[in-house]
Amino acid sequence: MSKVVRQIGFDEGAYVARDKEDVVVGNEIIRHRLSARIIHWAVGITFFGSLVTGLPVWTPVFGWMANLVGGLSVCRVVHAYVGLLFAAASLAMAVEWWGDMKMTKEERGWVGPKLLEYLRDAANHDRIGKYNGGQKVYFYTSKLSALGLLVSGVILWFPTSFPQWVRVVAVILHDVTFILFAVSLVFHIYLASVAEPGTLNAMTRGTVSKAWARIHHPKWYRELMGLEKKGS
Amino acid sequence: MSVTSTLEIRRSSASVWGSGSSLRSLPAVSKLVDTSTCIGCKACEVACQEWNDLPAVATFNDGDYQTLKTLDAAFWNLIRFDEREVDGGIKWLMRKDQCMHCADPGCLEACPAPGALVQYENGIVDVNPAQCIGCGYCQTGCPFDVPRFSAKTGKMSKCTLCVDRVSIGLEPACIKSCPTGCLHFGTKDDMLELGRRRVAQLKASGYANAALYDPAGVGGTGVVTVLAFGDHPEWYGALPASPSVPWGVALWKKLLRPLGFLAIVGAVIGAFGHHLYHGNKGHVDPGPVDTDEPKA
Repeated sequence: MSKVVRQIGFDEGAYVARDKEDVVVGNEIIRHRLSARIIHWAVGITFFGSLVTGLPVWTPVFGWMANLVGGLSVCRVVHAYVGLLFAAASLAMAVEWWGDMKMTKEERGWVGPKLLEYLRDAANHDRIGKYNGGQKVYFYTSKLSALGLLVSGVILWFPTSFPQWVRVVAVILHDVTFILFAVSLVFHIYLASVAEPGTLNAMTRGTVSKAWARIHHPKWYRELMGLEKKGS
Repeated sequence: MSVTSTLEIRRSSASVWGSGSSLRSLPAVSKLVDTSTCIGCKACEVACQEWNDLPAVATFNDGDYQTLKTLDAAFWNLIRFDEREVDGGIKWLMRKDQCMHCADPGCLEACPAPGALVQYENGIVDVNPAQCIGCGYCQTGCPFDVPRFSAKTGKMSKCTLCVDRVSIGLEPACIKSCPTGCLHFGTKDDMLELGRRRVAQLKASGYANAALYDPAGVGGTGVVTVLAFGDHPEWYGALPASPSVPWGVALWKKLLRPLGFLAIVGAVIGAFGHHLYHGNKGHVDPGPVDTDEPKA
């Protein structure tokens, strides 16, 4: 901080968030440092690039999207390269977030009824750390889907290099993983924006308010505030 | 594909609603290939290359009579040679490998590009290069492994059943060139009739299992084949005994696509509904816990 010339309206939170996270700055907490946010948006942008060029190939209902990039034959080429970038960004994301995503036995319950309990606002959130079970489930779902999309996508890219049954399996796998990803992504976007005001900020400037942290991630909040020992 | 305007389209790839354009119907046409009278002269191969103005494909002499190992983007008609031991003797079997012009074409089913694969009202299945994106899905959907990708054009290609000739009342080039009369062309009904007569002749000559190959799994084909050993279609250049469109293609187009579409739209509606009903997300109040500012 000492090197920075103090300005009027200096945004200390955003400044600290360039290279640090999980620290308290004034009334804010840094949730995602800059590198994490860049990786997240790289995944987001390449996914939507793949979506716009992939949906018109998936079904003619979305054929109009092909016009945005110059037609279906452009989609066929661009989709493959943007897809590769998406896979690369997803790999970076997996590496960046891997340490935070270890699931406890209790959190495995989020695959089932706990998730519905959460959506009904009936979940006891007191023991929730930086990420809740649902977020971790989404992490693994999206990374597994990205892997499935990559493997099947490469096969579909070079159809003549693989036996017919492999191509048939690849078509199915590409569909199943896409649908899985798309459905969970809808909830990811909803829960991270409209459903919980103040959340989107964590991925834009990198910060959340203390009040937000206390409501949605109480254990993480208590640890950062020194009210509870980490890992207890 | 050069005559779209003169032939009406019955079915077109990747169309959601109303895939055909025809009000009038035409009788289905068909080739008849009598493998028992084929002498392997390959005149049909040459005629095909000549009429369709296809460039020569490099061949490799591996001690076989077959021109190429398999079909090529620039080689749509390949006579496959097979030797089989039958009752202590050798039978030299030949089969005309080409697009079978299925009544239910798997290529058309699998194709994602609207209008890239069309089935004309007379049953001919054709590639429209202007719409083709060269993805190769048609090859995945084909039970006979026929369509080929051309690296030169970036498109798929295959036998057109000489649609340009047929649409002006001529027979396909291969038929015209055949010196033994083993190739015939006409309406599907006529070809089936001719084929059945030939099968009866073969049976009378001692080929008890002679049969007409017109597989029901693909709705019948626009190339019907007389096989002297009808119980062993696989003897004829690996002709599949009961071909059908790969199960995965049907699963993908008929089940996964609509279900996936509904699931994604359903998720969006669900998210909206959740917000309308619940408003901002909250959680159960855990009761009085020490979450206040740290005590110095």
